Amino acid sequence: MSRQFDRRAFLRRGAAGAAALAVGPGLLAACATDEPRPGRKPGAGSPPRSGGTLRAAFVGGGASETLDFFKGPSALDLVRARAWHGTLGNLDPEGPDGVRYGVLKGIDVSDDLSAYTLHVRPGVRFTDGSELTSADILHSLGALAARSTLPVYRLAAANFDLARAKADGDLKVVLPTLRPIADGRMILCQGNFLVVKDGTKNFREGMPSCGPFRLTGFTAGQGSAFERYDDHYGHVPHLDGLELRSIADSTARAGALTSGETDFAHDLSPVTARTLADDGKVRLVPTKSPYLVGLSFQMNMNTEPFADPRVREAFKLAADREAMVKTVFYGNAEIGNDLPSMGFPDYAEGLPQRAHDPERARKLLKEAGADGMRIQLTTGPETPGMVEMATLFAEDLKKAGVRASVRELPAGQLYADFAAYAALPLAGSYQMPIPALSTYQMNTAGGSPSAFGWKQAETDALVAKARAESDRAEAKKLGTRAQRSRWEEGNQVLPVFKPNLNAQAEGVGGIGDDLFEQFPGFSQASLG
Amino acid sequence: MRVIAFAGRRLAGAAVLLVLLSGVIFAATAVLPGDAVSAVAGVDASEAQRADVRAGLGLDRSAAERYASWVAGAVRGDLGNGFVGDRPVTEVVATRLPNSLLLAGLTLAVTVPLATLLGLWTGLRGGGADRLVATGAQVIAAIPEFVIAALLVAVLAVGLEVFPRVSLVPLGGTPLDVPRALVLPVLTLSAVGLTVATRLLRVSVADAAATPYCEAARLNGVRGTRLAARHILPNAAGPAVQALTLTTGALVGSAVVVENVFDYPGIGRELQLAVAARDIPMVQGIATTLVAVMLAVLLLGDICARALGARERHGR
Repeated sequence: MSRQFDRRAFLRRGAAGAAALAVGPGLLAACATDEPRPGRKPGAGSPPRSGGTLRAAFVGGGASETLDFFKGPSALDLVRARAWHGTLGNLDPEGPDGVRYGVLKGIDVSDDLSAYTLHVRPGVRFTDGSELTSADILHSLGALAARSTLPVYRLAAANFDLARAKADGDLKVVLPTLRPIADGRMILCQGNFLVVKDGTKNFREGMPSCGPFRLTGFTAGQGSAFERYDDHYGHVPHLDGLELRSIADSTARAGALTSGETDFAHDLSPVTARTLADDGKVRLVPTKSPYLVGLSFQMNMNTEPFADPRVREAFKLAADREAMVKTVFYGNAEIGNDLPSMGFPDYAEGLPQRAHDPERARKLLKEAGADGMRIQLTTGPETPGMVEMATLFAEDLKKAGVRASVRELPAGQLYADFAAYAALPLAGSYQMPIPALSTYQMNTAGGSPSAFGWKQAETDALVAKARAESDRAEAKKLGTRAQRSRWEEGNQVLPVFKPNLNAQAEGVGGIGDDLFEQFPGFSQASLG
Repeated sequence: MRVIAFAGRRLAGAAVLLVLLSGVIFAATAVLPGDAVSAVAGVDASEAQRADVRAGLGLDRSAAERYASWVAGAVRGDLGNGFVGDRPVTEVVATRLPNSLLLAGLTLAVTVPLATLLGLWTGLRGGGADRLVATGAQVIAAIPEFVIAALLVAVLAVGLEVFPRVSLVPLGGTPLDVPRALVLPVLTLSAVGLTVATRLLRVSVADAAATPYCEAARLNGVRGTRLAARHILPNAAGPAVQALTLTTGALVGSAVVVENVFDYPGIGRELQLAVAARDIPMVQGIATTLVAVMLAVLLLGDICARALGARERHGR
């Protein structure tokens, strides 16, 4: 393929080619990601074991992986940290406050919604024997998370005044809000707030922590090894040990699983997952709602045809959602309703499901004088299925009378060139699972550049009001009204939510019980 | 003595070239569309947050300024820290480059003897065997690496289960701890290298065999291995050695496909990831190191070729 050709072509150019040779392979995205692989017959491999060491494979971030999860953006950086450190809590639809607490006993909200009090769970011990106190939480939140540039921590910084957080005795932390909010538990207990010991600056092997496992080895880009921490708060893991490996290629991850070299493979591509369907020794375990990634198309209201709400509606009606779920994800995905954050408590599930109606789309376009319009849909291979989705959507648009074409950017470029991205007329993108309203406020309200021209003061105000409402039923009503305006007038087509297509060896269990499934935790996992 | 003077001259030239090429690489990173801000701060960061992160990464300075401070650090052996994950670039290079050198070295060790044998055999024999090998080599050279890799995996890893599907290196270890895991990556890379080298050698062997010098040797009763080793190979090897050094040097950084398929922890994929994230210090550090490796290998190749050439003249 092109890689091979390029190498030889460059070879003839002697020394000047040396630079190009060195840089070339990086510029050309690898072409080996999703080659169909001959299916493996069930047969050899390691049988399920009890106790033992579970080996799990993730995409990883290459040699730039880091133990400092406040700096490392790859999913594996957070998964590793979840195994190693205690968490404030995870979202849990069955929990009393909609959350399951970790190193906390509970969170109280002041009546005027101006402050949250975090109650430390007594008796949580670090691996050095010291007890976890408010100082540790304060350090993790106020010093480390507050300074992190990662998007996951920005949501908290946008809602809480992390720098003004205060300890009240050993077992209480008071966290002031930036504006009155009633849904702060959902933000603090999303699973990504992990607690390290007060004063921690450098993250290294051997540092004391209070998660379910102790880190015993780490090589960036290759993996990390853990052993059970017998004094873990709550309950002690079933596993003796845990090994988290980085295997970047989806097919290679699946191969390692089927050949028995690992017991769990994270986030396979739809094609790879399908090749595993006939394998009796492994089981597909896609993440469940709300841990689904939204695949969406953003219509830029600053560009001509999309300023007209009829055109936006037509584009939403044109999408054949069921075909996308079937064709791109082989049925392993959920149909979206043009709103992000499906499955979160503040998601407006009461709205009617958008129909697939190319006829009406055609009519709306005609009314708006936009029939036969040309549009280029730009996207990139940032997450499996995105380019395939864009290709299908372009076909759907053609059926509605739009002359649509797809432009695929090389890996990394779509978001790296942000100015160009925000100016695209139609962009294929994706959303990580995060709560609906707080995310709207952070990313979409006030004419943010990533809102693609959406600027509705009324909706913004409704969202703010919904979030400041302590009465849950009333908050839900206001939140649904705000989302209805996005659903009707908004500039986002969100036809599909895809799960992380994880797979595990037969007999492995308990991974989903650890909640926060998109970054799997292994504290309750067993090898069967 | 003349070889040492030659090597010294070439070394100085290579050093100058390295500096020039590091500038070219930097210019290339500067014209890549976009920057690392989205990779570090996420797509949904506000303008103010973007500006903060950009300033924090030093991207608000001009390209010339950034290059100057990079060079100042590089001469002291400090290649800076990556934008993503904040790891020292030298550390990443130090852990990954040896793995890539190992892979390239092993590939060379497989390719050279086999290519020599096949090249001599086909170049001297001609006829049906020659045509068979030549066509076979051409076909294999035309197959993309990932297809060869997939075939090897299907047969040797999945079917016969003699080698592991993925080259998992034990934590804290090196690929040498699991020699079996090296087999498939080396075989894949060798398949391509071997075909190219064989075809090159075959032609020069045939040329050398037709020279009056060899004719004379043959008339003097020199035959078989002696003829091949003493008279033909030294004359035929020159061009092949240079071609081989080029492919080997390139292998160090461009085995991305093989690194991906087998999850081999080489340096090529690090470069690819760094480019996708617009991690300039990482791209700059790795690419410059690879250029240095390439120049060193070229220099070695030239010295070898020169040594062979000297012998050739002596032989005449």
